[in-house]
Amino acid sequence: MGAPAGLQADCEALLSRFQEMDSVRFEDFTDLWRSMKFGTIFCGRMRNLEKNTFTKEALALAWRYFLPPYTFQIRVCALYLLYGLYNTQLCQPKQKIRVAVKDWDEILKFQQDLINAQHFDAAYIFRKLRLDRAFHFTAMPTLLSYRMKKKIQRAEVTEDFKDPNDHVMKLITSDVLEEMLNVHDHYQRMKHIISADRANPDKALSLIKDDFFDNIKSIVLEHQQWYKDRKNLSLKSKGKDGEEKSEGNSQQLERSERAESLAKIKSRAFSVFVQASKSRRHRQVKLDSSDSDSASSQRQTKATRKRKNKETLKPEGRKMSSRYRGDMQNVHKEDKSVSLSMPVITEEEEENESFSETEFTAPKRRRKHRTKSLV
Amino acid sequence: MAEGSRGGSTCGGGVGGRQNPVPSSGGCNFPEYELPEMNTRVFHVAAFGELWLGRLRGEGDLSLKEPPAPALPGGRGVADSGQEDEAVARDLGCSLEAAAELRAVCGLDKLKCLEEGEDPEVIPENTDLVTLGVRKRLLEHREETITIDRVCRQETFAYEMESHAIGKKPENPADMIEEGELILSVNILYPVIFHKHKEHKPYQTMLVLGSQKLTELRDSICCVSDLQIGGEFSNTPDQAPEHISKVRTIIEWSESHDRGYGKFQTAKMEDFTFNDLCIKLGFPYLYCHQGDCEHVVVITDIRLVHHNDCLDRTLYPLLIKKHWLWTRKCFVCKMYTARWVTNNDSFAPEDPCFFCDVCFRMLHYDSEGNKLGEFLAYPYVDPGTFS
Repeated sequence: MGAPAGLQADCEALLSRFQEMDSVRFEDFTDLWRSMKFGTIFCGRMRNLEKNTFTKEALALAWRYFLPPYTFQIRVCALYLLYGLYNTQLCQPKQKIRVAVKDWDEILKFQQDLINAQHFDAAYIFRKLRLDRAFHFTAMPTLLSYRMKKKIQRAEVTEDFKDPNDHVMKLITSDVLEEMLNVHDHYQRMKHIISADRANPDKALSLIKDDFFDNIKSIVLEHQQWYKDRKNLSLKSKGKDGEEKSEGNSQQLERSERAESLAKIKSRAFSVFVQASKSRRHRQVKLDSSDSDSASSQRQTKATRKRKNKETLKPEGRKMSSRYRGDMQNVHKEDKSVSLSMPVITEEEEENESFSETEFTAPKRRRKHRTKSLV
Repeated sequence: MAEGSRGGSTCGGGVGGRQNPVPSSGGCNFPEYELPEMNTRVFHVAAFGELWLGRLRGEGDLSLKEPPAPALPGGRGVADSGQEDEAVARDLGCSLEAAAELRAVCGLDKLKCLEEGEDPEVIPENTDLVTLGVRKRLLEHREETITIDRVCRQETFAYEMESHAIGKKPENPADMIEEGELILSVNILYPVIFHKHKEHKPYQTMLVLGSQKLTELRDSICCVSDLQIGGEFSNTPDQAPEHISKVRTIIEWSESHDRGYGKFQTAKMEDFTFNDLCIKLGFPYLYCHQGDCEHVVVITDIRLVHHNDCLDRTLYPLLIKKHWLWTRKCFVCKMYTARWVTNNDSFAPEDPCFFCDVCFRMLHYDSEGNKLGEFLAYPYVDPGTFS
């Protein structure tokens, strides 16, 4: 028998509401538990056999959320949920919580983390369950009876309760940033020391952007903010406060946003073209805007204008970057409401241009500079 | 391959002649899925037990004594609470005041959702819970269609089977199960003949102790084929034996990959306990007896014994689930279970036809005991006899 109808929905409702509370206190959990009257989930004149089966299923379901890969908060809530279900069940003697040996070490580690972080209420709850001998110590989490099911019911991990994989944050951690800052400072100091004029280092030694570290930091912070907003956004859209309409609207908004962003991508792909060399000028590709969308063509013209303002002899890399720049500014303005696209990091050609122009006039050097500015 | 550790286990480390189970070096004794959600890899039963015993505290986790009663708010003396708080403070590394506060904050009364006097069986009116919504609709539907919702025999039977031995303590303390004992849950599938059983094979579930010998499980499997008697008895109905005894033969355990080329290892069942075996959970094994009667056996679960389990070892192997089989009734009276089956019977409207003993004799024999008409008669043992 599969999980009883609605049980998963109810448990996930409880878990997500707890997640919104942004707390791990048992008091908050019990307030939520009482407000949802979750203890009544066993009511309804179930006969003995059904009571047993239902309780077993409920405990097994709650157990899943107690193990990784769920977030810390969800796992604590699952622990409280297990405590609640175990103690409010109507079976005599009580149905037990099954623990497989392969999971036990992880659970003990979790308990130790709770104690270290001084979440004494959660640790107390687990200790109490263990004292009450609420567990069955088993080989595997469920009974394996070699039933040839038509659909193998894989337990699906609810995405919202997981910490989504944030690869950027994994790569650029606070340790890495700190170290970068140290190295940068050290390098700058070295340059000062070995220069003739202590105040200003030799221009010849200016091989990197001075504000490189600040830029990276702000980019990372921006990313973090975007990430947080994205998470909050998806949480909010799950809220229950009369949002039929707003959901519909936001969906529409999303759809039109998607259409726009798709158009943007396409236009970008097709409008960037290589500046043909002198010998092949006759085969120069011309930009022919076929977009019916006025907004995007507007953007294009804006960008083209910007392009025209610059010096003509520029390698295509710069053109691309300025186009992106132009686009990005507009994108930021429009997409603030529902932004699910990742912010694009721009190459900051503009500020350094004057600097570069004075320093490196030869085209070769310019190219070199270009690559270096990507640092 | 269900092997004893003496027979050269595939787990590695099994040397011939050694009685001790394979030590738990981690590795191959952690039960883990071979086929996800279906069956595990091979592991040694006793070594798995050791994995748990090494991780648990004998006093608290493994004890089979009744645990101290849960704290009732206000129902305990101050001294008890003080002791408890001390223990909490020690275990969690918090202050005594914090421990006392925890006792209050995490009390069971905080989980109460019903007022005093509210019936726990009645679904509350304004509930958001989906589960209750479903259940309520079902109850309302029953009321509307005036369906009387009484428990049927089968359900009572199933519940009784599951729970009849729970918490039983032995009269003789020597029969008490020890702490740390393993309980295996074994499904034994019936030899399937009926077409209706194609999708969902009927089985019985037995609980067996790790320290019990394989022979003990074998002896507890009641198979109808053990009771079959060959021979046609239409001329001499009185000679059909009334009490039929089981014939024991040499048993072979083998892996049921495919009928035909399975690996066989003959081993004496009385020499091995379940603790000695290396098995896969959830994997079908084959148990043959009576020469060609085959049962598929699946070990579904292994766990440590709990103080709520049946603690009388004389009751194991314990039957906790049995498929309900309708017995075939006599064609004539429709009351008694069939004891005879006839073929080519001139008196019978169908072939084969089933009769209880009384109706069989009344129809086919005269008052002198002479055979009337033409027929072939065989003693019949109904599979539902054991229900």
